[in-house]
Amino acid sequence: MLNPAQIPADPAVLDRILDEKGRHSGAVIAVLQGVQAHYNYLPEPALRYIVEHSEITAAALVGVATFYAQFRHQPAGRHMVSVCVGTACHVKGAPRILDALRRHLKLAEGTDTDHENRFTLRAVNCLGCCTLAPVVQVDDVIYGYATTDNVGGILEDFLRREGDGGRGAWAEQMPPGRVAGDIRVGMGSCCVASGAATIEAALHQRVAAMRAPVRIQRVSCLGLSYEEPLIEVALPDQPPTLYTKVRVEDIPTILHTHFPAPRRRDRLRQAVGRGLEKLYTDAAWTGPRRFAANTRDPGIASYLDPQVHIATASCGQCNPVDLAAYVSAQGFEGLRRVLQALRPEDVLDQIDASGLRGRGGGGYPTGRKWRAGAGAGAGVKYVVCNGDEGDPGAFMDRMLLESYPYRIIEGMLIAGYAVGASQGVLYIRAEYPLAIQRVSAALAACRAAGWLGPDILGRGFAFDLTVMEGAGAFVCGEESALIASIEGRRGMPRMRPPWPAERGLYNRPTLVNNTETFALVPWILRQGPEAFAAIGTARSKGTKVFALAGKVRRGGMIEVPMGMTIRQLIDDIGGGIAGGRALKAVQIGGPSGGCIPARLADTPIDYEALVDVGAMMGSGGLVALDDTDCMVEIARYFLAFTQHESCGKCTFCRIGTKRMLELLERLCHGQGKAADLDELEHLAAMVKRGSLCGLGKTAPNPALTTLHYFRAEYEAHIAGICPAGQCKALIAYEVTADCIGCTRCAQHCPADAIPSTPYEQHVINADQCIRCDACRRVCPSGAIVITSCGRWGTGIAANGPRIRPPARNVPHADLDD
Amino acid sequence: MPTLTIDNQQLTAPEGQNLLAAARGLGIDIPTLCWREGLEHVTSCMLCVVEDCRTGILHPACSTPVAAGMQIATASATVIEARRMALELLLGDHLGDCEGPCRRACAAGMDIPLMLRQIAAGDWRAAVRVVKRHIALPATLGRICPAPCEKICRRGAHDAPVGICLLKRYVADADLASADPYLPEMAAPSGYRVAVVGAGPAGLAAAYALMRAGHACTVFEKEALPGGGLRSPELYDRLPPDVLAAEIMQIRRLGLRLETGVTLGADRSIEELKQQFDAVILAWGEVSPDLAGRLGLECGPHGLAVDRHTHRTADPVVFACGNAVSPGRLTVRVVGQGRATALAVDQMLRGAAPSDPRREYDHRLTGALDPAEIAVLLADASPGPRVVPADAAAGYTAAEARAEAARCLHCDCRKATDCRLRQYATAYRVNPYGWKPTARRGLAIVRQGHITYEPGKCIACGICIRITTAAREPLGLTFIGRGFDVRVGVPFNQSLAAGLGRVAAACVAACPTGALSGAPAEQRRPARGGVKKRPVS
Repeated sequence: MLNPAQIPADPAVLDRILDEKGRHSGAVIAVLQGVQAHYNYLPEPALRYIVEHSEITAAALVGVATFYAQFRHQPAGRHMVSVCVGTACHVKGAPRILDALRRHLKLAEGTDTDHENRFTLRAVNCLGCCTLAPVVQVDDVIYGYATTDNVGGILEDFLRREGDGGRGAWAEQMPPGRVAGDIRVGMGSCCVASGAATIEAALHQRVAAMRAPVRIQRVSCLGLSYEEPLIEVALPDQPPTLYTKVRVEDIPTILHTHFPAPRRRDRLRQAVGRGLEKLYTDAAWTGPRRFAANTRDPGIASYLDPQVHIATASCGQCNPVDLAAYVSAQGFEGLRRVLQALRPEDVLDQIDASGLRGRGGGGYPTGRKWRAGAGAGAGVKYVVCNGDEGDPGAFMDRMLLESYPYRIIEGMLIAGYAVGASQGVLYIRAEYPLAIQRVSAALAACRAAGWLGPDILGRGFAFDLTVMEGAGAFVCGEESALIASIEGRRGMPRMRPPWPAERGLYNRPTLVNNTETFALVPWILRQGPEAFAAIGTARSKGTKVFALAGKVRRGGMIEVPMGMTIRQLIDDIGGGIAGGRALKAVQIGGPSGGCIPARLADTPIDYEALVDVGAMMGSGGLVALDDTDCMVEIARYFLAFTQHESCGKCTFCRIGTKRMLELLERLCHGQGKAADLDELEHLAAMVKRGSLCGLGKTAPNPALTTLHYFRAEYEAHIAGICPAGQCKALIAYEVTADCIGCTRCAQHCPADAIPSTPYEQHVINADQCIRCDACRRVCPSGAIVITSCGRWGTGIAANGPRIRPPARNVPHADLDD
Repeated sequence: MPTLTIDNQQLTAPEGQNLLAAARGLGIDIPTLCWREGLEHVTSCMLCVVEDCRTGILHPACSTPVAAGMQIATASATVIEARRMALELLLGDHLGDCEGPCRRACAAGMDIPLMLRQIAAGDWRAAVRVVKRHIALPATLGRICPAPCEKICRRGAHDAPVGICLLKRYVADADLASADPYLPEMAAPSGYRVAVVGAGPAGLAAAYALMRAGHACTVFEKEALPGGGLRSPELYDRLPPDVLAAEIMQIRRLGLRLETGVTLGADRSIEELKQQFDAVILAWGEVSPDLAGRLGLECGPHGLAVDRHTHRTADPVVFACGNAVSPGRLTVRVVGQGRATALAVDQMLRGAAPSDPRREYDHRLTGALDPAEIAVLLADASPGPRVVPADAAAGYTAAEARAEAARCLHCDCRKATDCRLRQYATAYRVNPYGWKPTARRGLAIVRQGHITYEPGKCIACGICIRITTAAREPLGLTFIGRGFDVRVGVPFNQSLAAGLGRVAAACVAACPTGALSGAPAEQRRPARGGVKKRPVS
């Protein structure tokens, strides 16, 4: 490993970074990102050089460099292995994946890079691919459905692909002249993760070989994450056909079905080729992974039909960065109406009338917020789009930014006009490179076409936007912290008032709205506020985008009218709970929200109704939990998240969340005392009341709601029992008489805790067992069960819970997909 | 200008003024730690929360502007509870003791660590002042005290405890042997007269304290010589009578009237004393119920019945202490009690309210320290073994005393008397065990020159950072890391002195806790070998 101090500063490189990003104090985050991009960490000599050659002070530089999680202070290995520990991945076993990778890479305690300096392992909050959970990302390749025993395979696959020299072209390709039809490939991050890039490359190859006049389009995400990869074939004057879970080998058949080869010779070759393919490929083509479906498929219909697409309108139909396509689909119509016919006050009236409320979680009336910005006098004002989506288990902002950048830009333009701002910033979290790339491309296209600039539509309205890349701090989702971050400071919230509308970015009046809020605005201005207000409930109007994940059968991004019940969301759209298990609770609103028990599943999606049951709308993460999910562990998980993301400014959040986490950890480790629950409740209540910002004020919600609705489960933990069979310290793995002696468990045990005894019932050595769950997952006869017998030993064991696996092991997707 | 109420007082405050200033304008004090006049406020400690009675919302007063219609309560039950919890959270993993364990163990309450620092600096004259603040007969106690302070001394976990008792004797002996032994400063004569019955350790301690407080004092002793139990023959070989006599002479030089051969009940009646004096302290040995009855005083299971805090008997001007109250006590405890009784009498005479019986908040590092923690404390102490005086009968020489005193680990907090965190912890009756962490964080002490930085006592209020930033210090201080692990540090691991620069003294003075302390001249230890930095691995 290199000694960090030995790396000399490279003046040429650093001066280039400084020239590019700026030498003023506000440029510090961008400068640090530049330095890290070059060195893969922040070498101290480089930082010292920057202090000497810019206006950035040493104190500011070090303060910022150590605040944001993105910045590394030690060299990393050649490849970054990121294990997503977002909620959906967590409930599907991400901690075990992390452990397995640590074992595989033989990482010593306190280190994160292997001996050969090849891989650096880290946990990331959410990669926004919740439907592929658990997800591992190696550099820019995302692997879904990871299991404890295929982590080695993932790394090998990555190295092999790397050896092959790249993973397919990434350039957006525009169509040839005359086209016979379109093939649309969903290219959101989830789709790419599930192999869309490979499919796209294969399509290009095939289409070129066939010389077919086919246009291959990258389109916005359809939201059908559970069916990915998806391609849709659209021929003129025909309803489009949707193919789901497409494999590379399916492509020829799909193409040949829709696009007969133009020349006889090619048709012949096509037929021969098909015959040969049939000969050489697996005859069992009718497996679950390969089926063609159109939108009349009952599953897809029930997934899509209840949805109302406003923020996600035209999903799966347009190339996200194709400005012409956006304009032709009524894009910028809202802005045109505003600039041509409305005064800023009229826009405010319309937003008021629509009943739109902030989609970031709090639900503050958008019209009122805009009015405050508009009323804050003249002079420079800013509009900021909050795309720092940090909730583990939420990926709405990512999908919206990746798929509908123009819609968000239009929303910001309208807001800018209404409040009298001429500049804006899109703050996007660094974990969303594709979103940053697409938004940047969209901004360039808008400038070129005059949708951004000094005189938009010739109406004298000037507006321009920049992109600010976040650096890894959940708290920057709080608007005052977000502003501090844009200004290049540590992302620490401050007391409001003064509200950003009075004093925000660079002390100027600033309007900060969530990405989804902006995405809804063009529709409201185009269709009229009455149309928007007609959707939803009395207090919550319009639609809400949710990232539906967890134990549902069909997960993905959905947009539903307010007022729909949680049960409809889970059962109708999500297809119920997978694996034949029962819904136990719904975690809504992420770390700020709460766990709503199944019995309250008829609660409607409505700001007030959710608050009444102890949760909150949050930004829209919705994770379904089944009876194998431990609610104490879930509370611990969220507390661990918020505690880690606390900025450390105020006492209650900095220390209070830590003490809460310790209490929950003790409970999960079976070290809880009866008094702990009251203490936890007391502390939680005070953290909620006494914290400075929204992060601290809502951090206790997961603990409070689980304590409220699942107190018996907490009490069981005090008795040493984890009823869901999740808390490692409280469970044991046992082999039942159903064992057929196949030795698979022994072969897969990474801890050598199972002696291999062919044809005999196997036995797990409890002392060696690390409870990684590998044996249970591979057992073909379901003979391995989890038991949790409590601290009073065998006397209780007989009555203790025995958590049996599903009758049949759930097959896991292979990596070759 | 908005009109609002604070604690039911209506006021009209200027637009933009914060609640803290508005309340202070009404003379209502609101506690603050992170707020400081003249610096940008950051809203960190949350001690200044007040409640808006209309909404039940807690507002940090330092950064909440006044608004029309607010109904602020600055001391509601919720507010008090929130402040207490904020303090308990801040103190939950506070790494350090307010008082050194030795001082805590000393029944006389002597400031042992300070005495040791002065001896180590070669300044026994300063040390004797510290000793005699609490102990009237140090040369005597230095010979007979069983030294509970040494039993608890943290140095003992490493090799052997510091020889506190012998060092105290060294200080007292050096003083007695000097040409001008120390006489404490006396308060102006109060005009009050107090009778003390019994010239044993309790009576003498009480008389010493009373005279220092300016009261005329007469001690009545039934024996021919003062000293009481200290004159016991078993003590002769340890406590030569001439040492005792010399020390008592020092007390008499303060103006003490001593009447020996006087027995209460026989030669003088208690009624007589009550007529002649403004207060009476009974400080004799064991009292039988019979004797108590004859004096008309109530008797408890062990001795005279007194109030636990004021040492007052049922008779409002009669107090009692020492073996008369509870026999068989250690001399040092009796001495401490004598002094406490004198202070109670002083308060009564001056018409002051009895001091708060609650003890001052005293944070302590609980449990045994691990070797890494001991190593941190050892960094500033002499590494040698316990010094044994070459001549046991003569006690330490000056050089031996300096060497031994330098072994002290300085467990006590250098800001014990001016720590705002401690003051508020006392005021809000903080439970030091309220929110203990699962595991203690590593102890770290950075000492540079006269400035000590203890990250484990930092509450991350950022006052020092704001001061260095405002002063445009070239290096300055910054927050490093975030969340629970945030700490104040110097960029690029530079020295503390470089970070603090020209505003070091201002930072030390402004630090509301013991995190940054700079020994004032009185407490200064000799600088030992430049820069030291021992973070725990």
